Amino acid sequence: MWREKLKVVKENKIAGLYPFTKLWIVLFYSICAMILGTITVDGYPIYMILSFVIVPILAILTGIMKKVGGVLKNMAFLSFFIIVVQGILVKSKDIIITLNIFNFFNVNLYKQSLQYGLVLAFSIMCMGGILAWFFGSTDNKELISALESKGMGPKASYVFLSTLQMIEVLQKSSKTIMSAQQARGVETEGNVFVRSKAFIPSMVPLILSSITNTEERVLTLESKGFLVKGKKTKLYDVSPNGKEKIAMVSIIIYTVIIVLWRVLLWVL
Amino acid sequence: MWGHLSIKNFWEGKIMSKEKKYSIKKDFSLLALLLIPIAVAINFAGGQLASLLKLPLYLDTIGTIFVAMLCGPWVGGLAGLVTNLVLGIANPIYIPFAIVNITVGLVTGFLARNKGFSTWWRWIISMVLMALASIITAAPIVVLMFGGITSSGTSLITATLMATGTNIWKAVVSTELVFTVIDRVISFGITYLILRVVPARTLIKFSLGENYIKKGKNAAVADTEENVDDDID
Repeated sequence: MWREKLKVVKENKIAGLYPFTKLWIVLFYSICAMILGTITVDGYPIYMILSFVIVPILAILTGIMKKVGGVLKNMAFLSFFIIVVQGILVKSKDIIITLNIFNFFNVNLYKQSLQYGLVLAFSIMCMGGILAWFFGSTDNKELISALESKGMGPKASYVFLSTLQMIEVLQKSSKTIMSAQQARGVETEGNVFVRSKAFIPSMVPLILSSITNTEERVLTLESKGFLVKGKKTKLYDVSPNGKEKIAMVSIIIYTVIIVLWRVLLWVL
Repeated sequence: MWGHLSIKNFWEGKIMSKEKKYSIKKDFSLLALLLIPIAVAINFAGGQLASLLKLPLYLDTIGTIFVAMLCGPWVGGLAGLVTNLVLGIANPIYIPFAIVNITVGLVTGFLARNKGFSTWWRWIISMVLMALASIITAAPIVVLMFGGITSSGTSLITATLMATGTNIWKAVVSTELVFTVIDRVISFGITYLILRVVPARTLIKFSLGENYIKKGKNAAVADTEENVDDDID
């Protein structure tokens, strides 16, 4: 009975989709975004920009907007920079507007560069966004469990899970080590140079202690029969939640429409 | 396992050794496998630090270099790949740069196998080679996928160069050249410090660990350790 307690029951139907279905969605959506990027209205990739809107909508429907919102904002910031740099700093044929600064020099917004920048920026937003959705709606446990059902070895799963844990563990250790070094007189507060000098006395003991811990961990794993050949049983399992067919059908219809559209435009 | 000509040996042996000393199976001992999460966590910590301090450095290959020098190219490359996948979970921007990190692991590992780090001048040559490999793989990604701008501090400098009219490739490559070299020098420096301090009995458990054991006072200790049967494989 307590095995059921280990299972994560997700209320949101979209978040509860089997991880591989979600991966297919990521793949098809990305391909469609790239195809849409080649359909331009007066040179502007309007449809790709429109297709990006699907990402936040999907995130809201899945209920993970809070988690994913921060990542999307970062990517938006980066994309904005890309657009600005491309549009203003890379010269191309036509100029859209010219800003006069202090009557001294001109800042030109170049059309082709702007369009190129838009394509780049929204490729990043679309693909990055859908990936952010995927990682926000899938627990790491689920993904690794699904991969293992498909035949990924237990060693690989362990490396992945261990990595994610290790990051937190190391962050905690680094705080401990930093306070220990502070007690010994290493300055950890101040300007950039002072803090960079504290970097090495913090990193080296951290790495050293991690390596020695690893040796113990190897012994622990071996004593738990990690290397024994044979079928392993799982305590935590991921199962499809029933809505996979609808999801797959929707995304395939979406892709087919877009591919047909592109092919028609090419043929006509 | 010793020097017979057969397909199995061909797969297990690498590059030049006449007696094939290195095999993938030996590289991926359980100890090496468990070192990968540590390498990734170090890369993660380094990357976070660099972006917190807004340094024009990446510092996200320290762990990869370290693992590659101890366990060989394939383990190093894997550590690089996992690093960027994990970084990608938090911010998908980093996923394309996995290629760079993998290259760092592979190049450092192959250099380590071929005595690339046995003397101080070889360290320098290896560092330069590895930095070049990083730049060659990173620059195309930055230019073609991101139009020259990434979320790292180096992009501000790239943008400034581009504003003065420099061609985008030249701007990106020159920025990358300077800062990647600095970044790798620091990363190698940290790795060197650590390798000096790790005890010989631990070093010996890794495929390439023997190269870093200090000769001289500890030579006697190292010699006796070599006779210990390594059960962990």
